Amino acid sequence: MPPLSLNRRSFIAGSSVLLASTALPTIGFAQAVQKGGRLIVAADSEPRNLNPAIVASNGVFFIASKVIEPLAEASYEGEDGLAPRLATSWEGSDDGLSVTFKLRENVKWHDGSAFSSNDVAFSALNVWKPLQNLGRTIFKDLEAVETPDATTAIFRFSRPTPFQLIRNALPVVSSVLPKHIYETGDIANNPANIQLVGTGPFKFAEYKPGEYYRLTRNEDYWGDDTPYLDEIIYRVLPDRGAAASALEAEEIQLAAFSMVPLADLDRISKVEGIEVISKGYEALTYQLVVEINHRRKELADLKVRQAIAHAIDRDFVVKTIFLGYAETATGPVPKNDPQFYTGDVATYPFDVAKANALLDEAGYPRNADGIRFSLKLLPAPYFNETRQFGDYLRQALATVGIEAELVNNDAAAHQKAVYTDHAFDLAIAPTVFRGDPAISTTILVQSGIPDGVPFSNQGGYKNTELDALIDKAASELDETKRTELYKEFQKLVATDLPLINVADWGFITVARTSVKNVANNPRWAVSNWADTWIET
Amino acid sequence: MTLLRTPTALLGFTILVVLALIALLAPLLFPADPLAIAGPALLRPFQDASLPLGTDRLGRDVLAELVHGARTSLLVGLAAAATSIIVGSVVGTLAGFIGGIVDEVLMRITDAFQTVPGFLLALAFVSVVGPSLPVVVLAIALSAWTGPARVARAEVLSIRERDYVAGARAIGMHPLKIAFREVLPNALPPVLALSSVIVAAAVLTEAALSFLGLGDPNRITWGGMIAEGRAVLRSAPYLSIIPGIALVVTVLGVYLAGEGVVEASAARKVRA
Repeated sequence: MPPLSLNRRSFIAGSSVLLASTALPTIGFAQAVQKGGRLIVAADSEPRNLNPAIVASNGVFFIASKVIEPLAEASYEGEDGLAPRLATSWEGSDDGLSVTFKLRENVKWHDGSAFSSNDVAFSALNVWKPLQNLGRTIFKDLEAVETPDATTAIFRFSRPTPFQLIRNALPVVSSVLPKHIYETGDIANNPANIQLVGTGPFKFAEYKPGEYYRLTRNEDYWGDDTPYLDEIIYRVLPDRGAAASALEAEEIQLAAFSMVPLADLDRISKVEGIEVISKGYEALTYQLVVEINHRRKELADLKVRQAIAHAIDRDFVVKTIFLGYAETATGPVPKNDPQFYTGDVATYPFDVAKANALLDEAGYPRNADGIRFSLKLLPAPYFNETRQFGDYLRQALATVGIEAELVNNDAAAHQKAVYTDHAFDLAIAPTVFRGDPAISTTILVQSGIPDGVPFSNQGGYKNTELDALIDKAASELDETKRTELYKEFQKLVATDLPLINVADWGFITVARTSVKNVANNPRWAVSNWADTWIET
Repeated sequence: MTLLRTPTALLGFTILVVLALIALLAPLLFPADPLAIAGPALLRPFQDASLPLGTDRLGRDVLAELVHGARTSLLVGLAAAATSIIVGSVVGTLAGFIGGIVDEVLMRITDAFQTVPGFLLALAFVSVVGPSLPVVVLAIALSAWTGPARVARAEVLSIRERDYVAGARAIGMHPLKIAFREVLPNALPPVLALSSVIVAAAVLTEAALSFLGLGDPNRITWGGMIAEGRAVLRSAPYLSIIPGIALVVTVLGVYLAGEGVVEASAARKVRA
């Protein structure tokens, strides 16, 4: 681990050391649990496809993770940072060619059918591997899933696949679907993709577009006593400004994913009965990344990319845009990652003079108007912060003589422009680090990715050395060696700058103090909330 | 001047002249890029003499933004009004002058545009084509040209029966030449009276589009400033209030001036 400073600004780092937080979870259980009640939370989006086995994204998990469970969930105290869900144990073979899961007994689907290893085999082979955004990479060598009995599933791989990767990916990629509902017809268009059927603590009751989602208690849940809540309502509040006042008026009891604007946190933390919680997002760290289109002649020049990296004042970004609720980034792995992070990489301190010198060296002198060249900048519209960073980056580039024209699009148009049409020079993306670089990080710089895959290398960047390193790490079974390879990976990315990492941030939950057991695991907002309860 | 006789008109024109001056002189008053970061973020107004109206979320000078925003607002307002009046009067003149099937077709098209709420039309247009200043102007004009078209048609219908039109026909003038040389200029004054309403509506529509994130992101607009300020409405309300006041003053100025024009022309008619 690198040395970490524990001031307010490094809040992510503060909660990063998973091992050190072993002592935390026992504290909250002093109070007696009260059962029943309804939890109303704010939802800011209505995903078109709510199936987490197909769309493994936080917007989907936020709602669907209460209904459809993964094999294992992230945990502060569990071994390897995992807690069992539908699987009770997992073990990888030494040759990396198989992983054996023992599954939980006496689990029922919400429609009453029994859960078995066949459901896991079906989900893995028919959904995770061919259809899921992340599973496609992780399970690419999955050949077969053997089911010797109803509670054992053995995954067979055609090429050695690191068990460390499978383990790190389990909470995100292993949502299990009911085979009997999905085996007929087109999986992608199954009505159960909205009217979810799972094994989780809550059943999907109702969805009113533009108004709410309603989940109700699953009486037959396998967990003892849980779930505690009778109902969870997701009130659709697309206006982020509205969440704060709704909390104060007690119309909602919880707003996750920083739905309350950062600028409002200071004020709302002083309101009685409301608390601001920055824990519970450690396993879903977001990264503020400048994506670069290497097809542009100027941007294909390393000196220009270095100049851009030097032109960005990361401290300003953290302090002003994220109001301290973020951490400056040095490379593609965030500082709060306990396994892979290395700070021993090329860094680009804020230095306008150096940036100007690099651009002069690269052969792009300023013209009479002081402009070296112009480019198109597309900030992702998903977060206030990505848009604001777009405004900031435009100004930062202007100081070094690069004229950036901002192009604002809605979410769909942005994805198409950047990831399918490549109609950008620079783009700003909120990528997610999911606990292992092979899950959703290496894909950002790897070459040979088909057009249209969101959050992947669509900038035309190709570096054979880096590609070889990614391939090697993908099949390295020894955990220490694998970790070393990913440290190499970070060094190479920081040196050659296929993209520029600016800052890493976690989200903030704002909740009424009556809501208990909030943020008790590193993916809390997207976990199952079985043990959440409300004090009346 | 009869135009400035009423106090409302005088007030309206004063506001407009001041705004126009500010907009024209913006590059001299604030020569630096108004989007540049000028100081600490969220500085309140009247704290620092060099940043009299404070700074926004990124530390940009609110006064500089306000002044440059006036350029965008007025530019969009005038350009959209000009476009819609030109398009509207051409359509109206053709419909009124030619009559028959052409009149029917053009007026049904006008009806079609009138039945769709103007703002929705603009919203749809911008989100399909992508936000930039010319697109925003076109989007606003798209819904605003129907008013001038109807008024122009009504005027043309009465003018085309006048003797001088018959005279022009008799000497063998080309019908289109009659329509645009003889008829349109005489039909124009009542159409122009609509311009103040259109300018005011255009300024508001532009602000609303920017507020929804559909303005040109490379230009400062008052609507965009309000939208930016909304995220910090509770902690820094001045960021929304200041551009809001600017918007109110502008629209008020345009309305009052327009009122003045209408009153003045009515007075002229009475005397005549």
